[in-house]
Amino acid sequence: MAHALPPPARQTGPLVWLRRHFFATWYDAVFTLVFAVLIFWVLDNVIGWAFVDAIWRVENREMCTHDAGACWAVIESRGRLILFGLYPYEEQWRSTIACLVVIVTIILSCLPVFWSLRRLPVLWIGGFAAFVLLMRGGFAGLEVVTSEQWGGLSLTIFIFAAVFVIGMPLAVLFALARRSSMPVIAKSFGLIIDIVRSLPLLTLLFAAAVVVPLLVPEAIQGNKLMRVVVAFAIFFAAYQAEILRAGLQSTPQGQEEAAIALGMPYWSVVADVLLPQAFRNTLPSTINQAVITFKETSIVTIIGFFEVMASGNAAIGNGEWGNQYIEVYVFLALIYFVFVFGLSRYGAWLETRMRLGHG
Amino acid sequence: MGEPAIAIRALDKYFGDFHALKGVSMEVAIGETLVICGPSGSGKSTLVRCINGLESYTSGDLRVLGMEVGDDTRVLDRVRKKVGMVFQNFNLFPHLTVLENCVLPQKRALGRDRSSARDEALNQLAKMRVEMHADKYPDQISGGQQQRVALARALCLKPEIMLFDEPTSALDPEMIAEVLDVMKDLARADMTIVCVTHEMGFARAVADRVILMADGKIVETGTPEQMFSAPRNEITRAFMQAVQS
Ligand SMILES: Nc1ncnc2c1ncn2[C@@H]1O[C@H](COP(=O)(O)OP(=O)(O)OP(=O)(O)O)[C@@H](O)[C@H]1O
Ligand SMILES: [Mg+2]
Repeated sequence: MAHALPPPARQTGPLVWLRRHFFATWYDAVFTLVFAVLIFWVLDNVIGWAFVDAIWRVENREMCTHDAGACWAVIESRGRLILFGLYPYEEQWRSTIACLVVIVTIILSCLPVFWSLRRLPVLWIGGFAAFVLLMRGGFAGLEVVTSEQWGGLSLTIFIFAAVFVIGMPLAVLFALARRSSMPVIAKSFGLIIDIVRSLPLLTLLFAAAVVVPLLVPEAIQGNKLMRVVVAFAIFFAAYQAEILRAGLQSTPQGQEEAAIALGMPYWSVVADVLLPQAFRNTLPSTINQAVITFKETSIVTIIGFFEVMASGNAAIGNGEWGNQYIEVYVFLALIYFVFVFGLSRYGAWLETRMRLGHG
Repeated sequence: MGEPAIAIRALDKYFGDFHALKGVSMEVAIGETLVICGPSGSGKSTLVRCINGLESYTSGDLRVLGMEVGDDTRVLDRVRKKVGMVFQNFNLFPHLTVLENCVLPQKRALGRDRSSARDEALNQLAKMRVEMHADKYPDQISGGQQQRVALARALCLKPEIMLFDEPTSALDPEMIAEVLDVMKDLARADMTIVCVTHEMGFARAVADRVILMADGKIVETGTPEQMFSAPRNEITRAFMQAVQS
């Protein structure tokens, strides 16, 4: 019998680690050095611009003329315009609370405890009712602020959340209709989905904002924001429906049969067995679709809504702070980054959770 | 003798042009255990799936506990509450725990409240000797355990008839016995059972009758003894030799 050898002495320590990961061969070493220099150079410049040479507060904007660093004073001075758009200054606390309400609603809907047919609708309807009431006002002494004046970050987040909340049930409906056993339904929904997907989003939004009022009687037109959100939601739903359809197709036939054989009613087969699996199977694409939608909200600028991107442009466009456009765009980029990065981390968390078998 | 549990007369089934069941007639008495065997493609699954309406038939007559299984979805609902089914691939819901797999159908099919559904689920899981896995997910337990969970899940609904479609043929050999054992218990407890299987040991131990199908038809029916030792039909003889060797 062979004697058990002692395990090879494990080499540890930061130097060994560095050597193994960054200097294993001569070309590893070259890459490491080149990129180290590059990274250092970029970081040095960015940090220098954003922090070391930056000006944080100024008495008046003329002091922002130096070129060496950022002048963050623009954010202090124009931040409210970026965050709230044309919303009346005195009432902006309402917009803040409304925005927080929607963010909390989004965060809560991300938690699996809320994923039931009873809880989600209550949460969503409650969240949106609170948002609209606060933004609009007209009760308890709150001044009425029409949706034409809504703007900034609140509007962006509202549009995103509303598109998702209206679009997701629509997507489920579209996906189920498209695989219906009744050919008339399957074919016509297939056609609707394909038509919507072949139109540019801008065309749809324009039609909703401008064309619909010409064709539809005033009583049922709704306001422009509502029409635009609904059109956006239909656009989202057409794409998401195809994602879900792929998810439904990838769940084994046996799942549906087992549920039917157990005497479960059709709605429950769909809601309790098929859809949860379809969502699980398509989670990466669904998160991706949500991210795209968040970024696409900026397109509503073109039909006259002051979402956060447009407000940012307005903040620099009037000339006063015209030289500080980089600072403003960095600020906007950070706002987008927080949301989009949050979404994708959330997606990654869900995937791990599901790989472990849960929910 | 009273009304049979299952009565099938002159059942025909076409898949497009393909004639899958050719005038099948048979009866299963209440409490009887019937084993169906036969070569691949002979229509065994199709026949069993017609019994709980998973498959529709083209013509003929099919009654379960006196209810006519046809197009009427309300009747189908009632039939499915009386008829449980266990599949070759278990078909547990992978996104739910073992316990939830058993609780959900009780809530949705019978409208039971959560706590009594839970009690019943734990009770059936214990009978199938898998109660210790109640909080695991299906992919965390073995095939044999999954199949016993699938059986528990069906039994929670207190069915009067159980259908099995090759319940052990997706299992590793060492797990087949643990599943057959609980099925034998069920047969001895006078459950009405229709089981498609090639496990002749099971048939010998508990089957009242064995049916052999070939090419969409029933070619021979008899007690296990008759079928194994004195088959009358040429196809039966060849088939029995093949599965027993
Ligand atoms: N959905 C379907 N569409 C078309 N043909 C089908 C369908 N289902 C089954 N068939 C055909 O009907 C015949 C009988 O199928 P069935 O599954 O009942 O056979 P089986 O006896 O269960 O075979 P196995 O032992 O392989 O499970 C086969 O030839 C099969 O190809
Ligand atoms: Mg079969």
